[in-house]
Amino acid sequence: MTFFLLIGVSVVVFVILYLAPGDPFSVLLEGEMPTEAAREGIRQAMGVPTTWYSQYFAWLGKMLVGDFGTSIRTGMPVLPELLRVGWNTLVLTGGAMLVTLLVAVPVALYSAVRGVTLISWPLTILAYVISALPLFWLGYLVLYVAMRHFGIFPFAFASLGSEPKLIYFLLPILVLGLGSGAISEVVRHLREESSRVLDEEYVRTARAKGASVWRHAFKEGFLLPVTAIMATKVPFLIGGAIIVEQVFNWPGMGRMAWQAAQDRDYPVIMAIAIAAALLVRIGTLVQRVVYVTVNPRASQE
Amino acid sequence: MSASLLKIDNLRTYFYSRSKRAFIRSVDGVSLAINRGETLGIVGESGCGKSVTALSVMGLITATPGVITGRIDFANGTLHRNLLDGLDQSVRLSEEEGRIMDVVKDSGAWQRQSDRLQRGVRGGEIAMIFQNPKASMNPFEPVGAQIVEAVRLHTEHTGKKEAEQRALHWLERVRIDSPRLRFHNHPYGLSGGMCQRAMIAMALAAEPSLLIADEPTTGLDATIQSKIVDLLAELKAEIGITTLLISHDMGVIGRLADRVAVMYGGRVVEEGGAQQVLAGGEGNHPYTRALIASIPGAAEVRQKSYLQAIEGDVLDTINIPAGCRFYERCNRVTEAVRERCADCEPQLFDAGSGQRVRCWLFAP
Amino acid sequence: MKRFRQRPGEISEFSDLPLWQKADTIDLLYVGYGLLIVSLVVASYLLGALQWLPHDPNALNLNLLLAGPGTPGHLLGTDFMGRDLLTRLVLGIQAYFLPGLMAVASALFGGTVLGVVAGYRGGGAGLIVTFLGNLIDSFPRLVLILLVIAAFKPDIWYIMAVIGISNVPAVASLVQGKIAMLREKNFIEAAVALGLPTRTIIAKHILWYNCKALLIIQATLGMAEAILMETSLSYLGFGVQEPTPSWGNMVQSGANYFLQGNLWPSTAPALAILFTILGFHLLGDGLNNLLEGKRGR
Repeated sequence: MTFFLLIGVSVVVFVILYLAPGDPFSVLLEGEMPTEAAREGIRQAMGVPTTWYSQYFAWLGKMLVGDFGTSIRTGMPVLPELLRVGWNTLVLTGGAMLVTLLVAVPVALYSAVRGVTLISWPLTILAYVISALPLFWLGYLVLYVAMRHFGIFPFAFASLGSEPKLIYFLLPILVLGLGSGAISEVVRHLREESSRVLDEEYVRTARAKGASVWRHAFKEGFLLPVTAIMATKVPFLIGGAIIVEQVFNWPGMGRMAWQAAQDRDYPVIMAIAIAAALLVRIGTLVQRVVYVTVNPRASQE
Repeated sequence: MSASLLKIDNLRTYFYSRSKRAFIRSVDGVSLAINRGETLGIVGESGCGKSVTALSVMGLITATPGVITGRIDFANGTLHRNLLDGLDQSVRLSEEEGRIMDVVKDSGAWQRQSDRLQRGVRGGEIAMIFQNPKASMNPFEPVGAQIVEAVRLHTEHTGKKEAEQRALHWLERVRIDSPRLRFHNHPYGLSGGMCQRAMIAMALAAEPSLLIADEPTTGLDATIQSKIVDLLAELKAEIGITTLLISHDMGVIGRLADRVAVMYGGRVVEEGGAQQVLAGGEGNHPYTRALIASIPGAAEVRQKSYLQAIEGDVLDTINIPAGCRFYERCNRVTEAVRERCADCEPQLFDAGSGQRVRCWLFAP
Repeated sequence: MKRFRQRPGEISEFSDLPLWQKADTIDLLYVGYGLLIVSLVVASYLLGALQWLPHDPNALNLNLLLAGPGTPGHLLGTDFMGRDLLTRLVLGIQAYFLPGLMAVASALFGGTVLGVVAGYRGGGAGLIVTFLGNLIDSFPRLVLILLVIAAFKPDIWYIMAVIGISNVPAVASLVQGKIAMLREKNFIEAAVALGLPTRTIIAKHILWYNCKALLIIQATLGMAEAILMETSLSYLGFGVQEPTPSWGNMVQSGANYFLQGNLWPSTAPALAILFTILGFHLLGDGLNNLLEGKRGR
């Protein structure tokens, strides 16, 4: 299934680029944007494919060997650059996921065990508010507080070549983790599922046995729901990363995407789109693997 | 007194309906005693409070307000404990017209105290098996591992290999087919009957003093039901384990119980030796009589005669009437007792040779 | 300590609880707030379209830079160029209102059509809808939009088209699910047996009677998403350009001043975004609870 989806992903990207004015494929396949006549000549001379399906396969083939073309802006090959900055985005997104979990899990589990209490209503409202709050503004707020009250100035540490302090990492991670709106979804889903599991008959048997309730409820009440909901939040976190990287001038894939969109740098944005989709699918795959491992009844696909 | 393994005294377990703003008086003053070595059967229709009684003994009631009064003495010779000790500290009651109308309970403190009291008892000294065995076992773990857990928690066989041996031994003892194979199966791969055998194995592997069986055969196919009953009878003969058996199936009770308690509307209405209670005649509570009479005998089934149903609906444990709880449905009321039946709830009267009946007809 | 009280006397089947305890009240609050926001948005849109604004959005008042809210003549203050913030906020709605409506309409239309087709054809079509849904969800929305911007142009209509299309599978699967449920209840069979023409069955019975609620809720969620996307994009510099105001670009241009301590010019549009998106979310949630049956609170 994942395989077909990845094919689908490449098709979607291909279609978008194909329909675009300006013939991005000449750029991708030939590396530059010559004039129409020259292009035609070169095409015939070099045997560059002209039909849409042969273009597709040529393009796919190039990608599979790692050739994502060269950036229009910098003239450098896309893939190495992407790998370099992609790492920063992975750190940002991964850290944000951790933050989200660190906040959401205790809240959800507490609510599940203690039931509806007086504080659950304000917390729900708070969750709504945070998910409606614009991420970029939250970023500036945190930045302002950090700069004014803590004297931290984390701008563009990479380009300055100075040693990046840990706190430079923490700020954008904190912002993305708290502000992406994932927290309220995680809390809601986890609380629902763990309450449900705690009422299940087999958990009652565990209690009657004098066994540790959580040891039995863990798989279905925690592991499965958490992986399920986090897998669906990966695309939102990546999207949020684009914004957070902008606010903090964080040298990552998001900022690269923004730059590429500004410059119409097709190879770069295309590569990023594929990379992002790949990350999302990896997230889903991890969740499926966990599910299958835990569940004795599921069969491998 | 000292022969009682478990003595329940004036247990009350209430639930609260938010929408109706009223108490559901599931167990409304139940007192029972189980002697060592005997099987006590609790019988009654759905909703009479039998399962809730058992869950209250195990401290498994989590709904609110839950258990609010009572004393549950467990004494197996080495251990002597009131499982509801210190309960009064966390509960305040107020009554109106003899009925509890107001409950203030610190559920957190109460639960903590209950868990403290249950430690060492729940699972190890008192083990419970449930209805619906497939749903009652952890679907993510192999059956054998779940039994091993019970062994390691509650017996001296804490080594892994040792415990596995014991678990296997118990699987064999419950006469499950291909025990070695079943040991590694997950519950979904077992039939209902096999799962119930495994559950029994899991409960007994902990070597408890008391086994509580809550509707162990309900939900299984008819033929399997009798096999499980046979198994329980065999185990009873082999091990002599004290059992609290709950069922609405008179046949199961008849087969396995030494003494029987009949429950209705959250109270015990009759108790005594199995033979006496299940006679279903003049010497029994009208409800017991009606229950026994409603079981179609073979002859009746063949002749396709009308089933003898009990008039009326099961008592709604929210709206409890003033007098005898069974009065509305009783077909044995005589003029002599009618007034008392309507106004005053009877207590348990002695009916001779250990039998007691909660009915004005038996008043001295 | 929890208190449980039973009133003496007869216990009625439907006790009348005081209003504040009924679950509905919170939902009514949500819906009320949501409708308030929606009417403000629509009103502001109309004001903006008709140019009935308190000030010229581009009028520079160099004497009154960075004024706070409540300054006479400028209800919400001015920005760093002396332009009236209230006016610019109202005008900012133009940036997302119509395009957002388009996104919502196309998602609902496409999704309904696809959902009905999938619901009627069953099996294979349903799988296709699921596959498409998974496919679209593989891309973070923002990345997909940036791709489209790079390939085509940063036109808000293109962007909204992308948002609309990307919501089609979600709506489709909801509609399809509804139809499956109706089918299970033999609802459709009964209608066919009564001799109703297919068109009527679909239009009147399925869509209007049964899918109304979920479509309205999807509309609110869709609009909320459209606003979020538009503001995020204009913050990033795509979409409307200065001096035309959009809430996103207002936050962006005020950013430097924000970091220097002038918090208001960026905060005002941020709050506008917050309250508006919150309004649509709460409207959707509240309607969901009211229309689809109460959940025990």
